[in-house]
Amino acid sequence: MTSKQSPPLRLTIWRQYGREMSVGVFLLLLLGYFGSTPGFLRAENLRDILINAAPLVIAACGMTMVIVAGMIDISAGSALAVCAVVAGITAKAGAPLPLMLLLPMLTGAAIGAVNGWLVAWLRVPAIIVTLGMMSVLRGGIIWWTRGEWIGNLPPSFSAIGRGEVVGVPTPVVIALGVVLFVALLLARTPFGRHIYAVGGNPVAAARMGISVRRVLWLVFMLHGMLLGLSAVVYASRFSVIQSNAGIGFELLAISAVVVGGVNIFGGQGTVWGSALGALLLQVIGTGLIFRRVSEYWAPSVQGALVLLAVVTDALRTRRAGQ
Amino acid sequence: MRTAAICVIIVVAMLSLFTACSRKQAGPSAAKNVEKKLVVAVMPKLKGIDYFNAVERGAKEAAQELGNVELTYDGPIEGKVDLQIPFIESWTLQKVDVIAVACNDPDAIAPALKRAREKGVRVITYDADANAEKSGREFFVNQATFEDIGRALVDEMAAQAGEDAKVAIVSSSPTAPNQNAWIAVMKRYMAERYPKMQIVTIQYPEEDQGRAFSMTQDILKTYPDVKGIFGISSVAFPGAADAVRQAGKSGKIAVVGLSTPKSMREFVKDGTVKTVILWNPVDLGYLTVYVAKAVLDGTLQRGATEFEAGRLGKVKVQGDQVLLGAPMKFTAENIDQYDF
Amino acid sequence: MRRLVKRREAVLVVLLVAEMAAMQWLSPLFLTAENLIEVVRQSAEIGLIALAMTLVIITAGIDLSVGSIVGLSIMVMGMLWADAGLPLFLAALLALLTGTILGGFNGILITLVGIPPLIVTLATMAGFRGIALGMSQARSIRNFPEQFLQLGQGYVLGIPVQVWILAIAALLFHVALTRTGWGRSVFSVGANEAAARLSGVPVSWVKLQVYMLSGFMSALAAVIYAAHVSVAKPDAGLGFELTAITAVVLGGTAISGGEGGVLGSLVALLMVGFLRSGLTLARVPSEAQDMMVGLLLIVVVAIDRWSRWVETR
Repeated sequence: MTSKQSPPLRLTIWRQYGREMSVGVFLLLLLGYFGSTPGFLRAENLRDILINAAPLVIAACGMTMVIVAGMIDISAGSALAVCAVVAGITAKAGAPLPLMLLLPMLTGAAIGAVNGWLVAWLRVPAIIVTLGMMSVLRGGIIWWTRGEWIGNLPPSFSAIGRGEVVGVPTPVVIALGVVLFVALLLARTPFGRHIYAVGGNPVAAARMGISVRRVLWLVFMLHGMLLGLSAVVYASRFSVIQSNAGIGFELLAISAVVVGGVNIFGGQGTVWGSALGALLLQVIGTGLIFRRVSEYWAPSVQGALVLLAVVTDALRTRRAGQ
Repeated sequence: MRTAAICVIIVVAMLSLFTACSRKQAGPSAAKNVEKKLVVAVMPKLKGIDYFNAVERGAKEAAQELGNVELTYDGPIEGKVDLQIPFIESWTLQKVDVIAVACNDPDAIAPALKRAREKGVRVITYDADANAEKSGREFFVNQATFEDIGRALVDEMAAQAGEDAKVAIVSSSPTAPNQNAWIAVMKRYMAERYPKMQIVTIQYPEEDQGRAFSMTQDILKTYPDVKGIFGISSVAFPGAADAVRQAGKSGKIAVVGLSTPKSMREFVKDGTVKTVILWNPVDLGYLTVYVAKAVLDGTLQRGATEFEAGRLGKVKVQGDQVLLGAPMKFTAENIDQYDF
Repeated sequence: MRRLVKRREAVLVVLLVAEMAAMQWLSPLFLTAENLIEVVRQSAEIGLIALAMTLVIITAGIDLSVGSIVGLSIMVMGMLWADAGLPLFLAALLALLTGTILGGFNGILITLVGIPPLIVTLATMAGFRGIALGMSQARSIRNFPEQFLQLGQGYVLGIPVQVWILAIAALLFHVALTRTGWGRSVFSVGANEAAARLSGVPVSWVKLQVYMLSGFMSALAAVIYAAHVSVAKPDAGLGFELTAITAVVLGGTAISGGEGGVLGSLVALLMVGFLRSGLTLARVPSEAQDMMVGLLLIVVVAIDRWSRWVETR
């Protein structure tokens, strides 16, 4: 800042939170557009949208950390399936609530640990590790379950997905908690700053004394843990856990993060943007049905909107003169 | 070169270890058929859903009963026809005796089946047919005709929701042949028999129960005067029923569809769903293996009108279709008798 | 740099031979001409895509939309022929043009607007597939003329037609990549974009060409695929991108760009194909096969990385 006067406050906020704000504005625009159809803006529908978006929001938080660190994970959907099955098995074995949450999260963390180790210590590029892991996990879960689905889940398990905490649906509470946790982690802890540093410039980060390896490994592990939580929230809403759950989920999570303005090259972006991105995707999906858009055209509209969000964000960044 | 050697050793070791562990399917070695067992290869549309798991059970049961049948059951874990073709080719190479396949696409799979025929492998289909003349398949084991299924669904809906109800259909993939055939029958039958019944929308959640759930939720909100939902895949039906139940509309909105009793049991018990239409997939798998063996030893030939299949007794044969029978209806009364 | 790549390709061939030996041991039916030819044929369509994907990855980019371009081009061809009544040959040519334009769309967003390839192609992967679905209303087009089907099901001198096409394409790509100035510029863009720009390489133009080529090859694969399975459906090509990327990476092309080769990609593709074939013959269930392919990818790349690290000590 070489000018004598400091810039007006709103300009600073725009610079720092411009991405998130544009996503927010986009979301509001869409809500307005879809809201013109009767019933869309009713409390019941908005509530459903929030609940349905919760697992994606949770997963997107983890994916945010991964992408900010300059990495990627395309095995997230398969990991979700594995953790969901673990959750189902744990629930059916009559385990208490804490265990029903803990075991899937530990499973996710274990998967993340393996991914992280391959990426951080063996230096295999993340896209390759997770591409291979995707097949390993997908094949593995079918092999393990012999394709069987898990039904007859105990009510204590379903309470997670369908219950409420002081009137707010449990999944929404959990999702909100995760967003706050990750936001604080990224913004206010040294670890968070290390993640940004590693993602922005790993060489410089190493020179500053940051253990790049450890940061990457921990990021993958945390992300895996959050995937496990997401799996519990996701699976506890339904009466049956499919062994082929989560196909395409990783791409949704990455889309949410990207739409939310997190820079794919790493080093920038916040988890608020990703959460908004996840909500945006959910709103689009529901809105298209409300708008009675032909079922055949709905997927392309979704894809086009994601593209639009990404392009406008890129243009906006360019104009701000990166 | 040291690196190459290490690579080679590790990869080969990995492969051998894995193959040794996964040798579940093998049984007597494929290439050395000492005892003259008939090798029957059965392929589902995809592995990993309840419906085909039940088919596998029936197939295994029949193979065991027949005694001289060696069953190979395998297939892709995604319902894509180009993933099915390599299996057909592999089995052709191994000169299995019969291939029985549930086709993900009737035309795409036909050339591979034709080649199998040319190499002396017999071919039958079940559950979802292949193009008969292009593939040269000899028989199609059909659970029930598309007509029967479509009509049963619509009749059931008319009985539950009324003949002038507004209904929605939740299917699977927009390109799924069976579902599309049923939908075509349903539309036609509705126009004939229940002209006041109206389809407000058809949604395609692919094979994802979560999407079936949220799509149904959205349907209920978008079309508040909808009286009935059709869930016409083994994944869509439980997803739709779940959504209706969680919306508190059990009993007020009819949910009719096709799925396994296992997936639907809790919905039938609590009244969300009154009837589950299906056929018995275990019986389908069972019948398929019996037909396979009969085709091989000549017991079943073109022109037959009946066929005796083990514990199923006599089943009808119509031209080149072996019919399992009329669709079954599972209700609260009988649903506990079935464990598939 | 060249010696490293050559060493990687030698390792690949050794691995391929070792794998074939292992497969043969698992099932004596493996090493028959019939089987091997069929396996190569199964891989032909993805092989065409992998050729162009190699170039894309060499420029440090990626193209996730190839599968969707297959789906969209195949429907364009099908619908122009079945609905608009165009001669099939013309419809196929227009499909190739469509693929090139779609690739160009990707390329423009990447070069002009500056959005990273991963994101652009992730979005177009969904977008193109959606258009294919919407345009066709999920119909499938069948009953192609017998002559056309020869393209995907016929043989010339005992070798399937599409394998010939793949071989010719591979040769052209290899020569273009290793022996022309253009090929060198592709490498330089991937190795160091800033330096390439400074030395006068038209970086954006090269990138655009590479993505257009990727779209073109995807459309070509689509036409052959239609002839192969005799159907045009909007869900054609689902999953092709991941197999192609696996082949390219396994074949020695670094995901960070700057090095690699098409021959390696094809050898790697065959490796995966033979692996699956041998395992199916040995009655290994398909989910276990998927696990092995995933493991193979990770292990081979990990070993390669480790060997390079050892070398730099």
